[in-house]
Amino acid sequence: MDSVVAFAVFGVDWEFIKPYIVLGLALGGVYALSGVGIVVLYQATGVLNLAFGAIGAAGALIAYWMINHTSWPHWLAYVTCVAFGGVVNLAYGLLFGPAFAARDPLVKMMGTLGLALILLGLMAWRAPVGGAFARFLPLPSSSHTFTLFGAFVNWTQVIALAFAVGLTLWTTLFLKYTNLGTAYRAIANDREITATLGVPVRRVEASAWFGSGLVAGAAGLLLPDLITSLDYAALTFLVIAALAAALIGRLTSLWATLLGGLAVGLAQAIFAPYESITRYRSAAPFVLAILALLWLSRHRVVTITRTAR
Amino acid sequence: MRSTKIKVGVVGAAVCAFTLMLAGWATGAQTAAAPVGSGKASATKSICGLGTGKKATGRPIKLGGIAMLIPGVDFTTIGKVAKAYFDCVNDNGGIRGRPIQYVLYNEQLNPAQQASLARKLVESDKVVGIVGNTSFTECGTNWKYYRSKGYTVIGAGVQAECFGTPTFVETNMGPRYSNIGAAQALVRAGAKSIVVASPSTIAAYADGGALKVAERAGLPNRSFPVTLPVTDANTIIRQLYQAAGEGGGIILDFTPDTAPALMKAAIAQGLVDKVKWGSSTPIANTFMAGQFPEFDGKLFVNSEFGLLDASQGPDTRLMLAVLKRYTKIDPQAFAQMGFMAGKFATQALLNVKGAVTAKSYNAAVRGLKNVKTDMLCKPWYVGNNLPYHIPNNWDITVDYRDGKVVLKEKCFAIAAVDQELVRTRVWEKRFNLNTAK
Repeated sequence: MDSVVAFAVFGVDWEFIKPYIVLGLALGGVYALSGVGIVVLYQATGVLNLAFGAIGAAGALIAYWMINHTSWPHWLAYVTCVAFGGVVNLAYGLLFGPAFAARDPLVKMMGTLGLALILLGLMAWRAPVGGAFARFLPLPSSSHTFTLFGAFVNWTQVIALAFAVGLTLWTTLFLKYTNLGTAYRAIANDREITATLGVPVRRVEASAWFGSGLVAGAAGLLLPDLITSLDYAALTFLVIAALAAALIGRLTSLWATLLGGLAVGLAQAIFAPYESITRYRSAAPFVLAILALLWLSRHRVVTITRTAR
Repeated sequence: MRSTKIKVGVVGAAVCAFTLMLAGWATGAQTAAAPVGSGKASATKSICGLGTGKKATGRPIKLGGIAMLIPGVDFTTIGKVAKAYFDCVNDNGGIRGRPIQYVLYNEQLNPAQQASLARKLVESDKVVGIVGNTSFTECGTNWKYYRSKGYTVIGAGVQAECFGTPTFVETNMGPRYSNIGAAQALVRAGAKSIVVASPSTIAAYADGGALKVAERAGLPNRSFPVTLPVTDANTIIRQLYQAAGEGGGIILDFTPDTAPALMKAAIAQGLVDKVKWGSSTPIANTFMAGQFPEFDGKLFVNSEFGLLDASQGPDTRLMLAVLKRYTKIDPQAFAQMGFMAGKFATQALLNVKGAVTAKSYNAAVRGLKNVKTDMLCKPWYVGNNLPYHIPNNWDITVDYRDGKVVLKEKCFAIAAVDQELVRTRVWEKRFNLNTAK
């Protein structure tokens, strides 16, 4: 009933909006799991990975090539897509992680932008778009559908949402109850002190790069099916929505990131039928991130000091 | 002595036999691999340029073009196929022995880049002509500059300035007129409404004509600008369906980079049979037909060009051969645009009497009229001193069937809902621009 009242404000009824909620939750699930992957890496290494989407897109293109140009089983292509994410992220972490470790967070982030641009260039070179040609990476799960609130839902969408929730839960437990998780949290507090306590910081960071890369690969596998196109540019720039989710979680809270990702997906979908605001849907990630940051910092006290000249 | 003679005889015979074999092999090779586009032009055979079968080796004649390449849209195919045609011309004697040197620059929907590339082509590269340009916005950026330099561009257009200024003469009719054709087909098919979805960059221009067709038919209508690249096809397709309603008509005005995501979403959402689907030209190709059997018999794709089938006619056969010999590009509408741009530019070059300069080539371009090709419903033309050009304004409607693009409606006139098209048809009659049989 509340929902009806809330949506009636915009002049659209509940029945009308229900299919968009289903679609938004599915897309939001992938934003959420990408956001969780970004937050875990940030916690362990202090790096905000802007190459997250490009890594997933490159893995998806490799899977596409394996499926369409070899006789190898499809499951091998899917595994390769996920593993590619882990390996590339790990390689970047091992090569550049130590060099960037003591640098400013902004410098660390720009390093990953370089990786994203290199991957984009490689994808444009080896898998150009254009002409009469389009790529798809349908998963077997997408051929099984059911109807929910007037929208056709396929199992890829269900898996995306369940995976996001499952990953968040698993990561929360992992950080709390395992030695490696404790090491992550210790590094997040103070990398130098953690190192002096005998924690193999580089190895721990490497595991974070690898794990986060696996999530990037998994997102890269799910997203082409969810957005019904293997467009590497679109996949690369979906990192923006994932970053918004991570910012809503203030780069610390996994559950807030999960909710943030779902909120971004929902906002993009449910704004769609409203003619007056539909053209601003793409701004939803930024607007939600800004609103969340303002709300979460409402009790902060700003101290202004003046120094005598 | 006798045995020596026998030996000499045997060796001599062997040498003769070997020589004969070599000659036979060489002759056979020549006849088996006659250069693409060579021979004599006739009603059933098209050739590349002069069709001599000999490589042109003289001083190159420079032509150039600018093509847009952005995420979600690749227009470079048109210029690439124009280049393939020029390569074929160069392998067939060129322009009286001189090869065509074609340079194609890419732009990323950036007006500053478009302006600088136009100046580079004209002032640095010193091209005599501009051919194969295709972009969402380049016509608007550069038409005044090209006019000031006396250039008339043969390309494929998208925005209003490509069809509303004296500088550009396009082989295609662009999204606005193609969408009008799709809307006409949907109205004839009994659609209860018309909804048009186009890239947001061109939607205001591209969708307007189709909406006028709907208004004239008394149907509800709406335009849906879509931001590229598409990242939420399911949501967009549901929006379109809700706007059109059951039995309504939806026109997708996208290139094959973007349209498949929306068509997949329509299948995933179970909407294929709930509305009538129209489209502008770009998805009329066999790759798309093979990818979407779910749409067999359910599409009203307006095609600005003839079918991509060898039986269509000699130009289509030559284009298919050129694509196979000189490119890795699949047959498609963009290839037809590029082929015609190359063919018409070559025709203008061959019409030049005397030295080929920017002035003489562009004057020859403006002199083109009644240029026949089986790719268009009516002959193509430029026409001297027209304030704008819409030479391609008759279309067919096509559909998908068993992985192929098939004819659904024969050539029909695009509805003259715009004054520009009304005036164009008056000029065509007055100046005999496309009246040749």
